[in-house]
Amino acid sequence: MIRFFELYGVRLVNAIGTHFFYVVVSVSIAFMVAMTLGILLSRAPRWANIMIPVLSVFQTVPGIVFIGILFLYLGMVPLTVITALAIYAVFPILKNTYVGIIEVPSQYKEAAKGCGMSQFQALFRVEIPLALPTIISGLRMSTVYTVSWAVLAAMIGLGGLGELIYAGVSSNNSALILGGAIPAALMAVLFSQLIDGLRKLLIPKPLRRDVK
Amino acid sequence: MIRFENVSKSYGDSLILNDLNFTIEEGEFTVLIGPSGCGKTTTLKSINRLIEPDRGKIYVDEKDISQVDRIRLRRSIGYVIQQIGLFPNMTVEQNICVVPKLMKYPKDRNDQIAREMLDLVGMPYEDYAHKYPSELSGGQQQRIGVLRALAASPPIVLMDEPFGALDPMTRAILQDEVRRLQKKLNKTIVFVTHDMDEALIMADKIIFMNEGGILQMASPEDMLENPADELIVSFMGRRAKGMESAPQTAADFMRTDVHTTYINRGIREAVDKMARRKVDTLLVKNLDETYAGTVSVKSIKRVDKEIRKIEPLVRNTNVWSYIDEDAQECFEKLLSGDDSYLVVLNRDNTIAGIVTKTSMAKSLADAVWGDSQ
Repeated sequence: MIRFFELYGVRLVNAIGTHFFYVVVSVSIAFMVAMTLGILLSRAPRWANIMIPVLSVFQTVPGIVFIGILFLYLGMVPLTVITALAIYAVFPILKNTYVGIIEVPSQYKEAAKGCGMSQFQALFRVEIPLALPTIISGLRMSTVYTVSWAVLAAMIGLGGLGELIYAGVSSNNSALILGGAIPAALMAVLFSQLIDGLRKLLIPKPLRRDVK
Repeated sequence: MIRFENVSKSYGDSLILNDLNFTIEEGEFTVLIGPSGCGKTTTLKSINRLIEPDRGKIYVDEKDISQVDRIRLRRSIGYVIQQIGLFPNMTVEQNICVVPKLMKYPKDRNDQIAREMLDLVGMPYEDYAHKYPSELSGGQQQRIGVLRALAASPPIVLMDEPFGALDPMTRAILQDEVRRLQKKLNKTIVFVTHDMDEALIMADKIIFMNEGGILQMASPEDMLENPADELIVSFMGRRAKGMESAPQTAADFMRTDVHTTYINRGIREAVDKMARRKVDTLLVKNLDETYAGTVSVKSIKRVDKEIRKIEPLVRNTNVWSYIDEDAQECFEKLLSGDDSYLVVLNRDNTIAGIVTKTSMAKSLADAVWGDSQ
């Protein structure tokens, strides 16, 4: 164990840092894009009925293929990884944002309108707050997936915890494989906890029961 | 003041509002009532432009509302919906202050409004302001719903079946409260319901609608006396027909919780019973359960000490009738004499009950205004 850290310690720390960076950046970008799209789609449900199935097909394209294609166009730069991860992370958040807003019970929308809220005020004061439990559960799903998808970054030589795993696989070094896999799993748990914390912070208690 | 001029609205082929014309005066409590689909809710929602009419004009305080910015209009008109619609992500205080906040009142004024509003319905600020709607009972939630509509002191408040989802007890309490608030704050209220009892209790003026038009617009009394249409009569049920379907015989309105004693009992016992039951006469039965007469505390006071039993004091002079006698005759007997009640006997001469002047008045009131509220 100690020998492992002596041998790979620096590499591991770097890999964790890079991995973390990929996840945070790509999920943040995805979150902004997905929220915007989700809100826009919720204003035009007719469009949503076309867009959401199309996007869900995208989701079924394997990550390796996608990173490979982007690699051809963008080259071996972190942008390739971040773009690929962000595109994958968009869908769960987008779908949950859209569904969350659409499913806000009509009496609240009517009350908001009747109180004299503009569309914009109704959206930000009532609809999004009420959709937040659903949106955050989409965010958690995206983040946890992204932690595991980021392993693929190593495939085009761009580091992250995947690097240790690939190195371990090719040299038949199980310590190295675990050294990559365990931190990745822990990172997923950590993000999940962080998002739970965020949820507690943002959502008043009586609304928390709805979505697990 | 709200005025509708030739207002029509249709969805596809179906005409929802058919050339509506009416005026609601300031400070008036107007109830829109009618069968479902009659257009009452559409009428209400066109006042704050949640629904836009196809033709015709609606004036609020002499201003054509189609020329008023609809968001400004809605902020100046209170709105209460049936499903309550308190925002679950906001506390009671935040819900009350929704409209003041939209109108950018300063914060300390909002705080004051929340306190004043909660005070109006007797819900202490400290106990309720920071609760969420889901922590309140249905009745409390709709109180807050009403307060939210009142918070920015709009002169007009629209209420769309606000008490429809509440249990009868809570509904009755809230009806009283809203009526009291309306009088106190002098609001113009337009109130939609399908419950005629509610309309009769609440309204200064009832507008009865059917198929997008007005069948009758009248005060509750006028509508009860002269319903303009069969449909209105059927909505009012037995209240409109007055005495026809009122209690027909003595049995329908007598009280059965009477205080009796037997003719062979002692005076002390009788006095004691009157004292305990807080009455000044007892009905006296023979030993075979038939009615013998009455004994009053007055007659006992006048009596010689030697008499121990009530028998000599029993008088059979009180008015009485048989249980199946016509109600009107019973009332006449009771009103023509000095007795404060009438004894009702079964056909085998046993005691069935009594009719007091109070129970007579109550049954008449029920017949006129519906079951006692």
